[in-house]
Amino acid sequence: MFASIPSSVLLGAQGHPVSVEVHVGKGLPGFHVVGLPDESVREARDRVRAAVMSSDATWPDIRITVNLAPSQQRKSGSGLDLAIAVGVLAASEQIPLDSIRNLAFVGEVGLDGSVRAVPGVAPMVGVLGDRDLVVPIPNAHEALVVAQGRVRPIGHLRELIAVFNDLTPWPDHDISVAPRCVTPVPDLADVVGQPMARRALEIAAAGGHHCLFVGPPGSGKTMLAARLPGLLPSLDREQALDVTMIHSAAGVELPPSGLVERPPFRAPHHTSSEVSIVGGGSHSMRPGEISLAHCGVLFMDELPEYGPKVIDTIRQPIEEGVVRVARASLHTTIPARFQLVAAMNPCPCGEGNHPGDCSCGTARMLKYASRVSGPLLDRFDLRVQVERPNVDDLLHGAKGETTAEVARRVAAARAAAMSRQGRLNCELAAVDLDQFAPLTSEALAVLRHEMERKALSGRGYHRIRRVARTIADISTPGATAIDEPTIALALSMRTRVATYPGLGRAA
Amino acid sequence: MSEHMGAPDEWFIAALAGFRDMTTARLRALQAGRSAHEAYRIASGEVEPPEAVAAMFQRFGGLRDKWRASARGCTPTSVGERCAELGVDIVLPNHELFPAQLIDDPRRPAVLFVQGDLHKLDARRVGIVGTRNPTRSGAQTAARFGRELADEGVVVVSGLALGIDGAAHRGVLASADGVPVAVVANGHGAPYPKRHAALWNEVAERGVVISEWPPGTAPDAFRFPQRNRILAALSELVVVVESRERGGSLITAREAGERGTDVFAVPGPIDQRSSAGTNALLEDGAAPATSTETLLMALGLDHRRAGRRRFESRPAPGATGTRVLELCRAKPHNLESVSTALGVELTHAAMELARLERAGWVAEAAGWFEAVDEYSEFV
Ligand SMILES: [Zn+2]
Repeated sequence: MFASIPSSVLLGAQGHPVSVEVHVGKGLPGFHVVGLPDESVREARDRVRAAVMSSDATWPDIRITVNLAPSQQRKSGSGLDLAIAVGVLAASEQIPLDSIRNLAFVGEVGLDGSVRAVPGVAPMVGVLGDRDLVVPIPNAHEALVVAQGRVRPIGHLRELIAVFNDLTPWPDHDISVAPRCVTPVPDLADVVGQPMARRALEIAAAGGHHCLFVGPPGSGKTMLAARLPGLLPSLDREQALDVTMIHSAAGVELPPSGLVERPPFRAPHHTSSEVSIVGGGSHSMRPGEISLAHCGVLFMDELPEYGPKVIDTIRQPIEEGVVRVARASLHTTIPARFQLVAAMNPCPCGEGNHPGDCSCGTARMLKYASRVSGPLLDRFDLRVQVERPNVDDLLHGAKGETTAEVARRVAAARAAAMSRQGRLNCELAAVDLDQFAPLTSEALAVLRHEMERKALSGRGYHRIRRVARTIADISTPGATAIDEPTIALALSMRTRVATYPGLGRAA
Repeated sequence: MSEHMGAPDEWFIAALAGFRDMTTARLRALQAGRSAHEAYRIASGEVEPPEAVAAMFQRFGGLRDKWRASARGCTPTSVGERCAELGVDIVLPNHELFPAQLIDDPRRPAVLFVQGDLHKLDARRVGIVGTRNPTRSGAQTAARFGRELADEGVVVVSGLALGIDGAAHRGVLASADGVPVAVVANGHGAPYPKRHAALWNEVAERGVVISEWPPGTAPDAFRFPQRNRILAALSELVVVVESRERGGSLITAREAGERGTDVFAVPGPIDQRSSAGTNALLEDGAAPATSTETLLMALGLDHRRAGRRRFESRPAPGATGTRVLELCRAKPHNLESVSTALGVELTHAAMELARLERAGWVAEAAGWFEAVDEYSEFV
């Protein structure tokens, strides 16, 4: 007998439909899986066999062949377990073929017959069309977000057998997910003083600019970065689905609704492996931190401490919004369009921001400077010096504006940019700057002076103008030409980094 | 028998100074009552060491082997010829040119390696020292003292380091007949720091560059405090312009104090780290150096200098600009602190600062603005 069961596998953040074809017939007893299964799929044989026998069903002691189609594609993961089990039961006539028509199955089975969660159910379910979907209970909320057909959460293989043999109706499992102990979204009102850094955050949020904070330990760089997502608008439906797919594929806990609706904030430590930051590695090409930050914020604290390989690899996604991961003959792309926020000390001793405070020697300083490559630094439209909040501010400083207040201005500025040019200011092409970010003659004179004294490169010139556009969009919505004070502030938010005092100027 | 029989005395001592782990004290112990040639033969292992030297070998295990190995590369001829090549004079204490101020020093150097004419030290001498990471204001002050003292015929001694030292030397060089003197911690032939290679050569050309160690000696950390003692000994008074709490210039100040040399310090803002050392010196009784006149007076020189007023070509800043400039004269300010002090929007403060910078009234480094004076170019 023969049965063909729809299921799917995961590669990167993408589901791929797979037909699990099971043939039970004459020949020496055996259980073979063909169709490019990798080691993780071959292990399914032992699990499925035990699970079937633990579910008051019979293991057909004859020749069983499982073909995973399309056969030229490599399959990995334990998500095919359930489909294989159902296929074996149907091919051995323990459940009627009719009963599984228009159903697809995703899930892992345990030796005891229980049905267990797998990562990537959202993208896997997304490619299964309008079939009804049988999924593990813990994955039901994410399946519901993307499924076109009905979602049938199931806890044990035995339940399925009973349903298919018309002994019971579909079980009614509680699929609500306990809300995580939600850490409250950090509010900008907690940041005391630091008007420059606050302004930089607001500009970053409004224009989508990558932002680098340079300051001594204790200047609150991490605290500031963590407050950027709160200033960003919620994800639209399409972004939310994309992000949910990635988070699901990576096995990251999803919100109770199953849908990621707020911009994510990811902060991989500099000691994290390259694979965990960039992605790939395993057979299923697990998305890395840079993909988990898709449509959100990637925070890299202590930027110079990251391996040169990591620094080098993230430059491509910064440009293209996707990361290519490859392993052996497999390769795929995973979305990774994130807003980068990084932080670093100005120098090894940490005090080099302030004149006369640095105690680093030339050699240490040069070594430190060499760790942050110019090409990466150049990606940051905003490079802002942050200082330790002064003591008076800490003791008596009035609370600053709240995230909600600032977010309103951010939303207005983003709307202005979208209606003017159909994109955020960070994505303004150089050729469009004269049209969308014209300068007053005074502002132009300032930039010309900077370029004449070699403090500003050609690329820096364009970045300054994009930032200035955002500053103007926030302060005076509707103003077309960018004036002198605006360009001056934009220039001051492009500080030189890791240069020895007196080492000369460069942008 | 040694192949260096005919070499002059100073070549033997010069070679010995280049031996590994050689110190001034060891060099003097080797020489005690012996000819230079004899001292070299002892250190290089050609002859059995006398009791005192043998005891030293006993105390510092490995020293004997290190010196033996050194003798193979560091021969009197090789060192002597290298010095001649570089135009470096090897000056022993018995030489007429050996600086008088060092002859009776408790830790008198056994040899000096000198580029330039030591006669130039026969003048009034002021040491100017300070941190390698000064504020712009500190560096400008060093350059001002250097230039104005040189204008009065005073020789300025410093250490060729980055920061204050460099600014002082450059100030001296800006004076028509200024005589810069540098005491360095490494050997001639490989200027350190590299960024001061050109400055080193200029100082050697116009003045004097002195080292206690032969050409090729690396700028090892332990050599700097030793250098500082020579700098202090050569100066009639020492001015510390800026120094952090534990800066190397405080060692120079202490060496000066031990030699009865007057120490001056430039007062700085109390919350500025680069002034913490100098302010501490002032608390300990150092004299405040608030102008070149103060220093000239201390030297007993006529201090009624003709004021050098430069024609002011910079366009006068407006009312707000003037207030910003005043802030930046008092101490380094950044955009945030200017905006807070004036109670104006960040954009507005940024514009005022940018205008002042464009007009040459202030200069920016890493987001901090300091007032610029006529000594800015020497920073
Ligand atoms: Zn430092």
